[in-house]
Amino acid sequence: MSHDVFETKDGLKLRKLVDLKPTTAKEYQDAMLHRVEKFSKRQDSPFNDFIENTVVQGLRFILDSKVKIDNMLGENKEKVQNIIEKILLAGL
Amino acid sequence: MYHIEGTDYLKQKYYTKTKSICPECMDKIDAIIVEEDGEIWMKKTCPEHGDFKDKISSDPKYYKWTHYGTDEWSFEKNGETNPPDIKGKDPRGCPYNCGLCEEHISTCQLALIDLTNRCNMNCNFCYANVKKSGYLVEPSLEDIDRVMKHFRSKPIPPVAIMFTGGEPTVRKDFPEICAMAKKHGFKEVITATNGYGFQKKNGGLEWTKKVYEAGLDTLYFQFDGINNATLEKTRGIKNLIGYKERVIENCRKAGLTSVVLVQTVVKGITDVEIGNVVQFAIDNIDVVRGITYQPVSLCGRITAEEMQDLRITNADVIKEVERQTGGKIGINNSWYPLSTIVEFGRIVSYLAGVEPIEFTCHPDCGFATYLVVDPKTNEMVPIMDYFDPLKIVDFSNRFWKKIKGKEKKQVKFFENFVGDFGKTLDKGVNWLDKQQLKVRFLTGMLQYTKKPGKLMEMFSRMLLNGRWESVSAFTHGTLLISSMHFQDAYNLNIERCKRCIVHFGVAMPDGSVFESPFCTMNTLHRPVIEKKVAKATTDKVNNEFDTSKGQAIEDLAQEVAYNGGIDKKEE
Repeated sequence: MSHDVFETKDGLKLRKLVDLKPTTAKEYQDAMLHRVEKFSKRQDSPFNDFIENTVVQGLRFILDSKVKIDNMLGENKEKVQNIIEKILLAGL
Repeated sequence: MYHIEGTDYLKQKYYTKTKSICPECMDKIDAIIVEEDGEIWMKKTCPEHGDFKDKISSDPKYYKWTHYGTDEWSFEKNGETNPPDIKGKDPRGCPYNCGLCEEHISTCQLALIDLTNRCNMNCNFCYANVKKSGYLVEPSLEDIDRVMKHFRSKPIPPVAIMFTGGEPTVRKDFPEICAMAKKHGFKEVITATNGYGFQKKNGGLEWTKKVYEAGLDTLYFQFDGINNATLEKTRGIKNLIGYKERVIENCRKAGLTSVVLVQTVVKGITDVEIGNVVQFAIDNIDVVRGITYQPVSLCGRITAEEMQDLRITNADVIKEVERQTGGKIGINNSWYPLSTIVEFGRIVSYLAGVEPIEFTCHPDCGFATYLVVDPKTNEMVPIMDYFDPLKIVDFSNRFWKKIKGKEKKQVKFFENFVGDFGKTLDKGVNWLDKQQLKVRFLTGMLQYTKKPGKLMEMFSRMLLNGRWESVSAFTHGTLLISSMHFQDAYNLNIERCKRCIVHFGVAMPDGSVFESPFCTMNTLHRPVIEKKVAKATTDKVNNEFDTSKGQAIEDLAQEVAYNGGIDKKEE
């Protein structure tokens, strides 16, 4: 683990954090997936909803593309965001 | 802080008027909150007991940002209120009329029930302890049922409940109480605990499994640091870290993967361990979901000098987190008042048709940030690396302003022409309207999302269905770090009390339920209310635990017998 431990004159062990890397990163990812698995066992779980699962997959694809487009837009990103926001709020 | 950067507001000295109480006579008095000497102070004068001055924040810039307001932006939100439970009789008004009275302007989001004032520890700053008070406060199952019913029958009911004490897990019927909470419809069942029931060497794991299956979702787990010396100073027990680690281990084995570490921050004693607690949480990220820092509340009479020595504010804690994590979790870019997400929550609950969550507490009550693991670097980073939070909040505020009230103005076009059949058509039109709003909102959120990944999938599910399962799965991909500063008589601000979203419920002997905001209960009402519901204590209750070891006398005797009559010291 990337931290230095030092002891104060009172014998207190203190950690000087230099980064925030978990030692159980895999378990952390698994904790979220286990949660989904647990909820999926329930009959009315949203994780078993075919339409919702399809929409989520679609959103994933859109987000992937959006991140690439953001990189291409560079400094113009904010201008484009403002225009889209105006469209989204129009007519409400 | 892009809303105030470069504005005149930042150059002006902060000043506002409010009401507070005198820490001596507890009477209501005027107070001002002012910027002086690079800090924010509350100043007040009691005609009888003189002047009082207490620090509210050590960072005026951050404080001013959290109190900045425009038409479209403010952290001070008005909540949707439930009807009052009582009509206040005291002419002085808030905070003397708890019950809950008509002056309250938020709804309860977290219901609290004190299950007992029995405890296996004897912490010097604790307010609820059978030995100190000399009487027993322990509601019956019927009383608890009545309090749960009281909270859940409100038009806007709280979604979460927390058991407090004393130590709630000393009750033998604790699993039954967890199951009762689920039956009443609480989505999140939490217990504040020092870990007693979970850590037992004999049967602790089985007990953990049992309460998890019964409905317990989260442990709000007392955790002051990783050094035995620190724990001994705050809890008076030697070698306590092994006890704490057994709790984590048993939760891990039982599959109870939602532990929030709660550090009481005391200047010069536990504040040095703020970074240690972050590291411990990260090391146990498969089980630990969050950290809450609680700057200690100051009870009893203290001098102005003692006050200066002891007072630690939310801003101090946040700055310590920044310092002790090498600037990774900074005050200026990571922390937000809890009320930040009010409009966001309202939109999600309206569009998904689920119970609303209204974090309309005062901006001074608490601050929070999320950490997530970046899959590329395997490092925990503030969630701001995934979102542009200020833009998300801005967009949510504007969106909510446009659509609020829609649920009250459902389309009734076809019903007027073709009666009952028209109702079905109107339903269809309303459904379509909601779907187009969902698309607009999702697109808006997507605009300000920076990275794809599993966490974002959970986030989009949360937006789509607003269900508690989705919120829970999302939080299982994050580490929530928050700082909650509960008030005492020295810094009590009545504007905070009126907006409190964490309420105690007490079953009273006359059949009613007394509901009170957390800070007013602990500052004003607790002694009076407890005496009304108190029972006489017995020798058995008084001598149940060896508080120097944090264990039941019975368990210690069993352990000695198991070791062949040898009192084996814990390593």
